Amino acid sequence: MAATESSGRAAAGGRAGAGRLRQRGAADRRDARAGLALTAPSLLLVGIFALFPLGFGVYISLTNWPLVGPYHFIGLSNYQGLIHNSVFLQSIVFTLKYTGIVTIPIFVVGYSLAVFVRSNRKGSTLFRTLIFLPYIVGLVAESFMAVVELQPTSGTANFVLSKLHLMSDTTAWTVHTGLATTAICILVIWFASGLTMMLLMAGMQGIPADLYESARVDGASWWSAERRITLPLLRRSIALSLIISVVGSFLAFNQFFIITDGGPGTSTESVVMSIFQTAFADTDVGLASAMSVVLVIVVGLITFIQFHYLQGDGD
Amino acid sequence: MASVRSGQQPGAGPAPAGIARAREDSGRRVGRPGQGPGRRARRGTVLFIVAGILISVVFVVPLLWEMFRSLQPESTVTQAPSAATFGHLTFANYRTLLSGQDDILRNVVNSLIVAVLTAVLTAAVSTLAGYGFGLFRFRGSGLIFGLVLLAFMIPFQAVLTPLFLEMHFLHLLNSLIGLALFYTTFNLPVGVYVMRNSFLQVPREIVDAARVDGASVTRTLLSVLRPLVLPGIATSALYAFLFSWTEFLGALSFMTNDSLFTLPVALSNAETGTYGAVNYGLLLAGAVIAMIPCVVVFMALQRYYVRGLISGALKG
Repeated sequence: MAATESSGRAAAGGRAGAGRLRQRGAADRRDARAGLALTAPSLLLVGIFALFPLGFGVYISLTNWPLVGPYHFIGLSNYQGLIHNSVFLQSIVFTLKYTGIVTIPIFVVGYSLAVFVRSNRKGSTLFRTLIFLPYIVGLVAESFMAVVELQPTSGTANFVLSKLHLMSDTTAWTVHTGLATTAICILVIWFASGLTMMLLMAGMQGIPADLYESARVDGASWWSAERRITLPLLRRSIALSLIISVVGSFLAFNQFFIITDGGPGTSTESVVMSIFQTAFADTDVGLASAMSVVLVIVVGLITFIQFHYLQGDGD
Repeated sequence: MASVRSGQQPGAGPAPAGIARAREDSGRRVGRPGQGPGRRARRGTVLFIVAGILISVVFVVPLLWEMFRSLQPESTVTQAPSAATFGHLTFANYRTLLSGQDDILRNVVNSLIVAVLTAVLTAAVSTLAGYGFGLFRFRGSGLIFGLVLLAFMIPFQAVLTPLFLEMHFLHLLNSLIGLALFYTTFNLPVGVYVMRNSFLQVPREIVDAARVDGASVTRTLLSVLRPLVLPGIATSALYAFLFSWTEFLGALSFMTNDSLFTLPVALSNAETGTYGAVNYGLLLAGAVIAMIPCVVVFMALQRYYVRGLISGALKG
């Protein structure tokens, strides 16, 4: 079959001349039509559910849109209001702090795990899978489990910690800002390290083995090979894993909504939670949209800065 | 263990040195005389496996522990742990969840419908788009591709409010199809990217040969290219399924009718006690039910997942 196809192609290629040019023109038009038709559904969906809402959000943010009822243009009032909106500002500060706390541990743990599982030793595939499971299972299910296990008296966390004489078994984790944040950070580091591991491992496996071989011949230590070969060649993967991790942390919602519901007060309310509450509890859609626009800009900036910083120079 | 012992046997002389050095790890330095080089490698393997088991325990045991806890009756889950009752296990939580008046079976089915629909739609739309971007030249191709990838830069969390209003106008709130369309859109950047790469990797000769044979665009896709891009299709469907199954915020925002809640939203309602007192036993069992499809699907298709990560990582 393959043989007849390729001989047919050779015959077609051999027929040169003006007719071929005309055929090419018709084929190009056919290609153009087919290409547009094939890609149209994806553009349609992205247009309806991502691009339009983005523009619509900017529009709404310039109004006092309530969930129901008429609205008026109020210019930049929503944005001016944000500067004095202590709940929103607090949620930004809290989310930045949270992102700052979890990013480095996720990266360091993820990187170490990637070094551990990158070899093709016996068992490494299984270990990879097992370490990755918390990420696959999803933070939502795990947050429900955390709620149960962080209960005073009955929860496993207190049981273990009190047996180790580290904590009283009546510690109420979820109603104390510091404790709740600590517990959620540990949960998230445990949850997300596997993803960083997988991303970095994929990058590490793309580095040619003979680079390490020649470094070894030159007498380079493991550490200097890691520093001089792995780190520079891994820059793209590092950038990607950091962007995914930082943006993911900045958009955190599930764990806070489920475990603390933002409390005590609004002290553990993340930015996305703050937007969610403003839109659906306070039904101030205009203000929530202004918050969303700020969020898009901040996330865009984070991505841009990290991208540039980590892979800008050199190429 | 056994391999350490055999490695310590004095008979291991310098003879297998060449073989051992060829193996990846022991090649660094030839062992001191009298110390078999194979021994070093074997000890390394054992250390690796022991360390691997210890690390895996950290990541897996909490999940297994919660499966165990979900088999305890509510009264045990909410009491101080006591040796007397701790080992009494029962399927009571699961029975209550999957039958009776407050059952969440319907929510499990909702989640399944949305996840499967999202997976199928994502795979279909991504395949068509990947085919178009990968194998056809047309004006605007770059622009459209850029716009589709732009959805990757727009966090769905940030368009939720306007999207809520828009979906209200389109009568897509409280609709499993609406939710699936929303999920599909935000899975498209990854799916389209993976599929475009799949089609770009198809040898040009195969495409040209099909064309010369007079195969139509559709026919080429269905009978010539399909087997070649099937792994990519599996990758995009898998990502979409897992995303949809574990998604919470969108479902929480777009579903207000409790018969249409997906599983995570139903559990969240149970947790905040909308249906009366909070039942932690049920919550654990529900969380375990939410875990199971992810584990099963991932275990079965994980090589496709890793493929996606690799092609995503190259994108960076």
